[in-house]
Amino acid sequence: MSTASEGIGERRYVGGVEAATPRSILSVSDVSRYFGGVTALENVSMALNAGEITGLVGDNGAGKSTLVKLISGVIPPSAGHIEFDGRPADFASPSQARTAGIETVYQDLALAGNMTVWANVFLGRERFRGPRFLHLLDKKAMIVAAREMLGRFQMNVPPIEGNVDGLSGGQRQLISIARAAAWGSKLIIMDEPTAALGVAETQAVEGVIRTLKDRGFSVLIISHNLDQVFRLTDRIWVLRRGRMIGERRTAATDPNEIVSMITGARAGNGEVA
Amino acid sequence: MAQSMAGPQQSTSSFSQGLRRNGILGAFIIVVVALALTKQQFWSIENITNILQQNSVIGIIACGMTFAIIIGGFDLSVGATAAMASVVCAVVMTTSGQFGVPLGVGAAIAAGIMVGAINGALIAYLRINPFVATLGMMTIIRGLVYVSTNATPVFGVPYEFTNLGLGKIYGAPIVTLIFAAIALLLGAVLQLTRFGHHVYATGGNARATSVMGIDPDRLRFLTYVLVSVCAAISGVLLVGQTASGQPQAAMGYELTAIAAVIVGGASLGGGYGRMFGTVIGVLLLGVVSNGLNLFGVSPFWQPVATGVILILAVGLDRTRRD
Ligand SMILES: Nc1ncnc2c1ncn2[C@@H]1O[C@H](COP(=O)(O)OP(=O)(O)OP(=O)(O)O)[C@@H](O)[C@H]1O
Ligand SMILES: [Mg+2]
Repeated sequence: MSTASEGIGERRYVGGVEAATPRSILSVSDVSRYFGGVTALENVSMALNAGEITGLVGDNGAGKSTLVKLISGVIPPSAGHIEFDGRPADFASPSQARTAGIETVYQDLALAGNMTVWANVFLGRERFRGPRFLHLLDKKAMIVAAREMLGRFQMNVPPIEGNVDGLSGGQRQLISIARAAAWGSKLIIMDEPTAALGVAETQAVEGVIRTLKDRGFSVLIISHNLDQVFRLTDRIWVLRRGRMIGERRTAATDPNEIVSMITGARAGNGEVA
Repeated sequence: MAQSMAGPQQSTSSFSQGLRRNGILGAFIIVVVALALTKQQFWSIENITNILQQNSVIGIIACGMTFAIIIGGFDLSVGATAAMASVVCAVVMTTSGQFGVPLGVGAAIAAGIMVGAINGALIAYLRINPFVATLGMMTIIRGLVYVSTNATPVFGVPYEFTNLGLGKIYGAPIVTLIFAAIALLLGAVLQLTRFGHHVYATGGNARATSVMGIDPDRLRFLTYVLVSVCAAISGVLLVGQTASGQPQAAMGYELTAIAAVIVGGASLGGGYGRMFGTVIGVLLLGVVSNGLNLFGVSPFWQPVATGVILILAVGLDRTRRD
């Protein structure tokens, strides 16, 4: 019973009509990307349903990270086009993608270790008090709000006023994810969110990702851990050597089939090029 | 679910940071008490005002330098910039008649902004390493100052202007009041405003700030402008102290200022430092050099003392962290 999208919305997908057909939040059409002579992606198409967790899998160098970078505005596609939430998604920068509602969780590199947890949650989106032009930080409000944002997830909240420096990988990931979820985003993209984590922390972060779905977010997750992909996702897309091999409903497939699609041992009946 | 889990590493790291800050303050207090106990003259009003008077000009430079170091760089051109500002200030004052004083001060600050903009553009936009960029600017500026003055001082500054450099209000040297005001203002900018916050973030992880939509290059640019403006203010105060523009002024101030900031707890790697620490660093170096003076030690020993304190401060901090 993998629920196609109920379009659950504490957010904006109310409406009720879509209950039967999944509503598409992101569609990638015939996208290619070249780096000099290297073809990273060729005629790739993919569609994400609102309110679902979608997995993107493929071997090393298959083009997963490149596809994510195209969606989140880090680099532009060489050809093809992407539509997000009904509008063309030709973002010139990650901040434009963020404004449109796409948040990307970067492993580690987007936290400033020398700063407090609350400062990281609010980095670039600070709250102010007093005369506007002075940009005086409203620390109290940010501390309270950050505590509340992190507290929404079933996970130990690190000390809000302590530095990020001393935190474990899982706690850092919690901060990054909570930050992504806090800003009215619709789609949250995670590139190998548990790659550097131990067993317990991986479990905790998976719990956080499920919470995201329960709260109505759409999630795109890249992972090399197939067990994890099967635990978390509603739908799986497979890339191989820059081409989209196909899509499966998680409930209607099994790891063997996905492995063969990844490696090319047996052709999946991919609809797309 | 919420709260809980004050990770052990977490509390030790903020503990050692506290110790570090208070360690500098502790060292400063110990030196002051030791000098007060061993040398009566030390604790006299004249001597204290003297120390403040002598260290305020470099203190202002150190306040600006704190920003550069927190953002992960530093500025070697501040001494030359101060000298240039003092010469520009003196020349404009002596040649512009009635409104010479405000015009001179304005011209000096404008010169500072210009130098800062060049430093900032070289470092932030042309990605030239801060050491190379500011070392180059230091020698270029000092050279231009010598060329344009033939290395001779510019005299003829209105005598009243020395009130600024040497005057006192209720016994407090005016330069020290200016130093205090700048330290308070810039300390508040660092701790309370978005700009300061983003300077720390850039120094800690420039990649993270740019991913979050902040422009680290713009912050670096503005930081170097700020540093040079502080240096230019110091240059103006030097004119006030000597009633002349001095091409050789502020020689070596860049290294003393950097030393003071580091002694005050900032890290050359960027991301850490506080204005309060910088002020204590400046005062500690000043008090030690005054103490050497009182004990009749040759002034040639003073740079030796500064170097020893710098290495001790950083070394002790390292052992405390491990
Ligand atoms: N900036 C770049 N310049 C040149 N080639 C690149 C660049 N980025 C990616 N590539 C190439 O594009 C291809 C796809 O890389 P990508 O990082 O998207 O793979 P991936 O599926 O994320 O792999 P992994 O699982 O190892 O992370 C690779 O051949 C890679 O070498
Ligand atoms: Mg990758």
